Amino acid sequence: MSAARWSIAALVVLTVVSFAVGFAWLPSAHEDFTAKGLWDAICRAAGVPQKWSGGAPAPATHSTRVVLDASMQRPQAQEAIGRGATLALNCTMCHGPRGLSQANAPNLAGQYPEVIIKQLMDYRSGDRANSIMQALAVNLSDANIRDLAAYFTYLPKPRNAPVTDMSIVPALVRVGDPMRNVAPCAACHGGIERKPGAPWLEGMPKEYLVQQLAAFAAGQRHNDSHGQMRNMARNLTPQQIDDVAGFYARHGEGEEQK
Amino acid sequence: MFVARRLVLAHFWLAFAGFAGAIVLGEWQMYVRSPLHAWLDNPEHYYRSVTVHGTVMAYVLPTLVAMGLGYALSELALKRPLAGLRWAWAGFWLVLVGTLMAAAAMASGHASVLYTFYPPMIASPFFYIGIVLVVVGSWIWVALMSINLRAWRKENPGAAVPLAMFGNVAGAYLWAWTSVGAAIEILVLILPVALGFKDTIDAGLARVFFSWTLHAIVYFWLMPTYIAFYTLVPRAIGGRLYSDTMGRVAFVLFLVFSMPIGIHHLFADPQIGAGFKFVHAAMTAMVSVPTLLTVFTIVASVEIAGRMRGGKGAFGWIRTLPWENPMMLAVAFSFVMLGFGGAGGLINMSYQLNESVHNTQWVTGHFHLIFGGAIVIMYFMIAYELWPQLTACAPLPARLVRVQLWLWFVGMMVLTMPWHYVGILGMPRRMAYYDFTAPALQAQAWTVTVSAVGGAMLVVSALVFLYVLAAARRGAMSPEPFTFSLAAHPVGRVPPLLNGYALWVSMMIALTVVNYGFPIAQLAVLKETSVPAIPMGLR
Repeated sequence: MSAARWSIAALVVLTVVSFAVGFAWLPSAHEDFTAKGLWDAICRAAGVPQKWSGGAPAPATHSTRVVLDASMQRPQAQEAIGRGATLALNCTMCHGPRGLSQANAPNLAGQYPEVIIKQLMDYRSGDRANSIMQALAVNLSDANIRDLAAYFTYLPKPRNAPVTDMSIVPALVRVGDPMRNVAPCAACHGGIERKPGAPWLEGMPKEYLVQQLAAFAAGQRHNDSHGQMRNMARNLTPQQIDDVAGFYARHGEGEEQK
Repeated sequence: MFVARRLVLAHFWLAFAGFAGAIVLGEWQMYVRSPLHAWLDNPEHYYRSVTVHGTVMAYVLPTLVAMGLGYALSELALKRPLAGLRWAWAGFWLVLVGTLMAAAAMASGHASVLYTFYPPMIASPFFYIGIVLVVVGSWIWVALMSINLRAWRKENPGAAVPLAMFGNVAGAYLWAWTSVGAAIEILVLILPVALGFKDTIDAGLARVFFSWTLHAIVYFWLMPTYIAFYTLVPRAIGGRLYSDTMGRVAFVLFLVFSMPIGIHHLFADPQIGAGFKFVHAAMTAMVSVPTLLTVFTIVASVEIAGRMRGGKGAFGWIRTLPWENPMMLAVAFSFVMLGFGGAGGLINMSYQLNESVHNTQWVTGHFHLIFGGAIVIMYFMIAYELWPQLTACAPLPARLVRVQLWLWFVGMMVLTMPWHYVGILGMPRRMAYYDFTAPALQAQAWTVTVSAVGGAMLVVSALVFLYVLAAARRGAMSPEPFTFSLAAHPVGRVPPLLNGYALWVSMMIALTVVNYGFPIAQLAVLKETSVPAIPMGLR
């Protein structure tokens, strides 16, 4: 059985040498690894989490406190919709009696519930700034917000006419601008994919969309977690913003005139 | 063969039917990304196609070929009827049902997560359940291979296990342990999310479990090819196997070293420590040992054939080789592709060099060259070799077979060399389109067109392959008894260590625990590693 012993010994030697090199010798060549001694270097090489920032204070501005979870997306009971309808009477001046705005405020009809929940919570906490909306949101409880979301979700969505000629769809919506790291709008806002937290855009007033994209680009609006929209908007040209906003708004205006 | 003829045929036909569909999708992908086609309006279609192409080519095709070949070898090498035929059919049906389930999920656009299905992307549960069924079907095969070998040992106590069966069972054990990683990933981490019980997932841990499977699976794909190298090639070209022992050593080394090295796929992942990355890189280098042993042994075996045919001098034997013999052609092509692909692989596995090619088209080029090239070209030869046994057909048209092999070889080189080149320039893989109007990319546009041309050659070659198999006249003549290569030195007593697996399987499991134990335990314990799941697909 000496062949078996040899094989095992060889494997053990190989393993020990590999670990010695990977966990002791290579780290010793790197100041970051050796600053706090051998044991610390071994822990680092093993991937034990380390505090790199050395306890530096968190940045003063942050984007949002809201964590989206699946419960926000679930349909609510009829009673919630009813309560939401009552609360929504406060919203009609700008957002329209049926959630379709004639005042260049965003449409809320048919909006996804988690979108409404997140935005209202951000207004309430001040993570999204707007003098009117912050004043209104500050008095809303979590339950109020969920009820409002249930009501607006229940209203029929404004829809653009189906696109039959793909050439009218701006490139930014279909394919994005890959060389400038801009993903297609349709990858999150529907069309290709729908990501939680991304709002329904069809029929939105053009002025609102242009204004929000500009605010994202300038960093004035920063309640998008991980800067998702700021990173997109910063790389857009004014022409691209105009094209995209016009595309999403194109039938919204027509419907209002009906 | 005794009782497994229809069983093996069913495996091969299902494998090659899937292969035919998936290769057309592959070529479509190359075409729509090339400057010959406008950008896709919906990039999801591209990812849907890539998912089907990858899933069929990486899971369905090689698993079925390995299973079919395993059943055939069990009868041909052990010279006894396959035990457990009903179970084998049950395994086949599981694979078929699993494939159809996954295919339905992918085709309907609810599983465009690519064949690596990395969380936090989450597909329809049918996709994962389909994959699990394929794997469970293949586990039945693993058990049957082990049972058949044990039954043979009982009848032939102390005898040397025929090399073909030795490699076959090594591959089966390798697969059994290898597939455990992805099985845990799917059953424990992914399915609860896909079924809606949870909405966060430990993406880092899932990737570690997948890497457990992801690299060793390559050696599971490779096993049929290596079995063909050792046990079919020397016989088919009229030579002798240079060393039977070397074959056994290569097979057991694969068993030990192909498993605990998968973290080299995660060099860019932050959740793994640099130390473990280095250890996995070092052990990956060890896999070149059985590969080089094989290259040496097979070249030596081919040289024997050349000299037996009157070849003289240092290189004169190359001229006298039977180049009109498809097997000769195939093994030469396979080695050329293995050489380029292996050299590229050494770059991938080097912790530092990997940085420059990570996630670029280089990687796509590498695994197409190794798997699609070196490995699959031998799958063709396995099918051609076994076809007379399976269908009692007349000899296959050698001329057409040679054309098919040439097309495959040239097509694969034309497909993958541009990928390697632009990979070094930094072209990312898995892109639905490239903006060739950008000045920085314009100069690379031609390479994608060239790859699309290479892909077209591969499609033609695949069609010729299927035509040759389908057009073979069934029952035209009764097959000659199947033989395997004879060793240059007759195999007498084989050391017990190289006639069984106990030591090597123990080493495989021990190394896995050493190399994976800590990263898995740590990620499983850490609370901060969960991220929101992202459901993929139409909605």
